[in-house]
Amino acid sequence: MTAVSQTATPTRITDQGDAVPMVSIRGVGKSFGTNEVLRDIDLTVNKSEVVCLIGPSGSGKSTLLRCINFLEVYDRGEIRIEGKLVGYSEDTPRRRLSNRDLRDLRRNVGMVFQQFNLWPHMTALENVAEALVQVRGMDKAAASAHARRMLDRVGLAAKADSYPARLSGGQQQRVAIARVIAMEPHLMLFDEPTSALDPELVGEVLQVMRDLAADGMTMVVVTHEMGFAANVADKVAFLDRGRIAAFGTPREVFHESAEPRVQQFLQTYHERNSF
Amino acid sequence: MKFSVIIDAFPYLLGAAVTTIWVSLLGVLLGQVIGVAVCVARQSGGRAADMAGGVYVSFFRGVPLLIQLLLIYYMLPLIGIDVPPLVASIAALGLASGAYVSEIYRGALNAVPHGQSEAALALGFPGSSIWTRILLPQAFRISVPALVNELILLLKASSLISVVGVAELTRTSQTISASNYRPLEIYLAAGVIYLAINGALALFGTLVERRLQQA
Amino acid sequence: MLDLSLLVQYGPALLRGFGITILCWGAGCLIGMVLGFVLMLLRQLPVKPLRWVIRAYIEVIRGTPFLIQLFLLYSGGPSIGLRLEATTAGILGLGIYGSAYFAEIFRAGYQAVPKGQVEAALSLGMSYGSILRRVIVPAMLVSTIPAIVNMMAILTKETVVLSIITVPELMYEMQTMAAETFATFETILGMALFYWLLVEVVSRLGRRLEARVTRFLTHASPQGSSSETATARA
Repeated sequence: MTAVSQTATPTRITDQGDAVPMVSIRGVGKSFGTNEVLRDIDLTVNKSEVVCLIGPSGSGKSTLLRCINFLEVYDRGEIRIEGKLVGYSEDTPRRRLSNRDLRDLRRNVGMVFQQFNLWPHMTALENVAEALVQVRGMDKAAASAHARRMLDRVGLAAKADSYPARLSGGQQQRVAIARVIAMEPHLMLFDEPTSALDPELVGEVLQVMRDLAADGMTMVVVTHEMGFAANVADKVAFLDRGRIAAFGTPREVFHESAEPRVQQFLQTYHERNSF
Repeated sequence: MKFSVIIDAFPYLLGAAVTTIWVSLLGVLLGQVIGVAVCVARQSGGRAADMAGGVYVSFFRGVPLLIQLLLIYYMLPLIGIDVPPLVASIAALGLASGAYVSEIYRGALNAVPHGQSEAALALGFPGSSIWTRILLPQAFRISVPALVNELILLLKASSLISVVGVAELTRTSQTISASNYRPLEIYLAAGVIYLAINGALALFGTLVERRLQQA
Repeated sequence: MLDLSLLVQYGPALLRGFGITILCWGAGCLIGMVLGFVLMLLRQLPVKPLRWVIRAYIEVIRGTPFLIQLFLLYSGGPSIGLRLEATTAGILGLGIYGSAYFAEIFRAGYQAVPKGQVEAALSLGMSYGSILRRVIVPAMLVSTIPAIVNMMAILTKETVVLSIITVPELMYEMQTMAAETFATFETILGMALFYWLLVEVVSRLGRRLEARVTRFLTHASPQGSSSETATARA
């Protein structure tokens, strides 16, 4: 029937008791000139939840993700992380937050990019330790020790002194993930983390992401990996042309959705991925 | 600052500017001829020609223009050619420019797809025709922006020929400010004139580039 | 024709002149690079008048002959109370001239830094100062070294123009020697060969530096020298 596997989602403790959701997106819109890339987005992500954003290219999923940590500026609506308004001042409407306040917000949010974005002039260890020194103010020795533990967590302790140029794509992405988790974020954003990887390297990265989810990390993931979305996500949001066309548990979206666009999208996906 | 000084001097400065302009133009023209010749010779003339051309390019790009100018100025009489400073200057500018132009053409020729000369060969074109009808016209098109830039550079470089006594803009400025003791005003005026000419040239270059994109 | 005893006689003067050349070149390069870098950073500020002024500064300096700029500093300076010694004017002139070109070189390098690396640092909460120091400048170093070396070679050649405002650098001393010995042509030829060698050496050293820096910073194999046209001009 469907190529998307049906294994049960492993039980995880999702802390639904908390009144304040981790991410709260209300009525968010964004335009590039006359082009409306996001319209009236409502989305809630609770603590320890994994939410996957899926949809065709140009649907706005990456833009929405990048609005969450204000790498993109949203024009309408509100985005709140742990209750705090993102990018704009609470008191004065539509007044941009200062760079310092923005930085404070970003310290607790981690982002993993499609292109890894490791700094080529630093070793894996130095990449992971850098923010600890510059942002958290740790001393170099403590930062290096912590960084080593993080690299071990993603299975790359042996590559600590290697430069990015010497690492495979999958290894680079895992280092990038280590760099983020070293900062002990409350929330992690993944922007198509495996899209730039050769197929055989995708698995190792998805495994790390699975482990993070099992440990209770709140994650918002833009991805084309339907298997991950089906097995690991608590909720899936299907975006189409700037709107959320379907939202719910993986079962609800993949198998029970009446939305024609969702079915069309999944159809194309199946055609391309089953042989 | 006395502005009246500038107004009095302006006619002379403008006259000198005209000299600057056509000296630079002649220099660029000469540079074109020499540059293309050297480039073609290096590409198709065999090893000796390539090496000789290489030495020429290295020398005229590595030695400061002022020294090149004095070298030619003092060298020509020694081999019996007695020329006025103006001619020596144009020769120096042309030789210097030629070195850069030959490199510009070398890059431009590389940008012309190889298949074009191959097609011509297959059709039986003689070598010289391939150069004149196919390669050079295209190389010229590609190099126009760099060539307009050459003209601007030469215009600025022309200020150095003042040392051999040519009455161009810089020299005239020196003369005038020596007699009215107002170097600041005069040199500022000269600077503005240079800027205006270069600005016009830059604009011209943009227009030509745009025209060529459309063609 | 060539009297070598002349070299012995004029040796000290020539050496002194060469010293002045190196001084002017070194100080000029330093001032030019520091000033150029600062101007490039200032241009990033969202203050329109400031960006306009800096742009105008760059256009004026790149659009007028170096000699005119020197004359303005040295001869025109006293009219506004700026009485400079020839060498000082020379160094200042080189520094200002270079700063306009270095500012453009740094601007290109700054814009060529992959946006993603900056975004990764931003999303980790790093301050602009940290990002500049730890991410942007290292990335810029690799891409701008060819252009920087090129410019330094150009400034080497421009030092001879300083002789016109009587800075006692190498060419000035050689011209003095030529005038006193009447061996004009030989002296000038000697000068030409010397500077040819000097510029070639500077370019070669630059290319080696480029390869070293690329290897050191990225630890990928260097992709062949991109500074082959090092003997271009401004």
